[in-house]
Amino acid sequence: MSVEDILAAESELTHLLGAQQAIVLSTRIRLARNLAGLPFPGWAKVPQRKEIADRCVTALEALPKFRRGHVFRMAELGDRDRAVLVERHLVSKELAGGKLGAAVISRDQTCSVMVNEEDHLRLQVVKAGWHLRGTWHIAEQLDDALGAALPLAFSDRLGYLTACPTNVGTGLRASAMVHLPGLCLAGHMDKVTRALNQDGLAVRGWLGEGTEAAGNVFQISNQQTLGLSEDAILRHLGGWIKHVVEQEWNARRKLAEEEGEKFVDRLARSLGVLRSARLLTSSEAMNMLSHLRLACDLGCLPEERRHLVDRLMIEGQPAHVQARAGQELDSDGRDRRRAAVVREALKDFPEVAPPA
Amino acid sequence: MAKPIRCSLCEETATVHLSQVVHGKVTKVHLCESCAQKGGATDPAVFQLADALAAATPAPALTCPHCGFTDLDFRKRGRLGCPACWETFGEALGGLLLKVQHETAHVGRAPAGVIPLARLRRRLEDARAEMAKAVAAEDYEAAARLRDEVAALERQLAPS
Repeated sequence: MSVEDILAAESELTHLLGAQQAIVLSTRIRLARNLAGLPFPGWAKVPQRKEIADRCVTALEALPKFRRGHVFRMAELGDRDRAVLVERHLVSKELAGGKLGAAVISRDQTCSVMVNEEDHLRLQVVKAGWHLRGTWHIAEQLDDALGAALPLAFSDRLGYLTACPTNVGTGLRASAMVHLPGLCLAGHMDKVTRALNQDGLAVRGWLGEGTEAAGNVFQISNQQTLGLSEDAILRHLGGWIKHVVEQEWNARRKLAEEEGEKFVDRLARSLGVLRSARLLTSSEAMNMLSHLRLACDLGCLPEERRHLVDRLMIEGQPAHVQARAGQELDSDGRDRRRAAVVREALKDFPEVAPPA
Repeated sequence: MAKPIRCSLCEETATVHLSQVVHGKVTKVHLCESCAQKGGATDPAVFQLADALAAATPAPALTCPHCGFTDLDFRKRGRLGCPACWETFGEALGGLLLKVQHETAHVGRAPAGVIPLARLRRRLEDARAEMAKAVAAEDYEAAARLRDEVAALERQLAPS
């Protein structure tokens, strides 16, 4: 089992034709869980962390969700393979950087569990598009199966016990990855971020905490995990995402109306550059792919091409480009290779048409 | 003549004497002129004072009996040592929980097979109040339903 299989697989986010939607790229549920009676990974001694990894991986492998899935021990992977998993949001940078971490990933990459990150277990379920309830339902099943297989640290008063006070209680972090070019172009993003922050939601860039919002893609998630039921947390996030999506549509309509031909020209130019560039940096690619996604949402490009844009956003990242090339590449080499991959993928793309 | 008190950080004669109360425990620190200056002890508004105190007080106020984690470790790392630490430091963390979570009690789900007693107790109180209201409003159908729920909750909560 290797990271090559992860790249070759028809995964939820890269190949699921028709699942992609306008604006919301994906829905994600994360649950923090720990084994009762053992120190958290950051405080555990090496033999204890080994025991934690072995117990968790054995229990996870036996679950139906992970049948024919992948198990990766971070110590056994090279730098590039670990970076691929980070770029796919299957593991965090922290897990990839540690020695005794492991990841168990389902065949279609919708379910993944990090072992020995900040907590013993970090469950993740991700679905393409906006499916908060459906994604939660899968996470709940996975959590139940896990709770039946392993004794989890739980307190009557504080709920699921975690290493950090910011996760205790439900251990639930629900998020949506949203594509907001309209609000960014209109200059409203600061205002939106402030409003979300004030109501207890965090706004982050494409690769999570401390990253920039390349390609106008943002991750919006709940902050509070204690004193609210899972249902209340999901309703709160869901209400805001619905509102943000409406605001984004308004901003797009306004831009299309006010700028008219200039607006379509901007999208068409991005397609032109992506189709003929010989060197493409990763942020340039992200920003122009963002325009293509916008064009698909507005009917300027056929909607059924949207999943290809999403796939290029993922596969245009540095470690992916190198993994596909099968070799380490310097910065110019990556830009050349990225441009070639994008050109090839877009060669039979239709022209950008005015909005329907 | 009394023996001069030594500085807690170096071996110089201490001339600055501080007492701080942390979690109801009095900590005394003695510093020489230069360590006090460095630690900002002469300016009470400077935060470095806390660091000087932390460095000068090797004895932690609380230690987890299960994993040996102390309140000083938490101050350094911002993460706890093990699930049992929540028992040890629970009270001390109350203020921090209110600040980051705005709440101090869990109301969500529980692992399969674990009955979340706190939630059942809250529901029992609510159901009793609702039943009284239903009776007062002469809604006997609702009152009967609530009476059954109260009885069921009481059975679940009764020590077996």
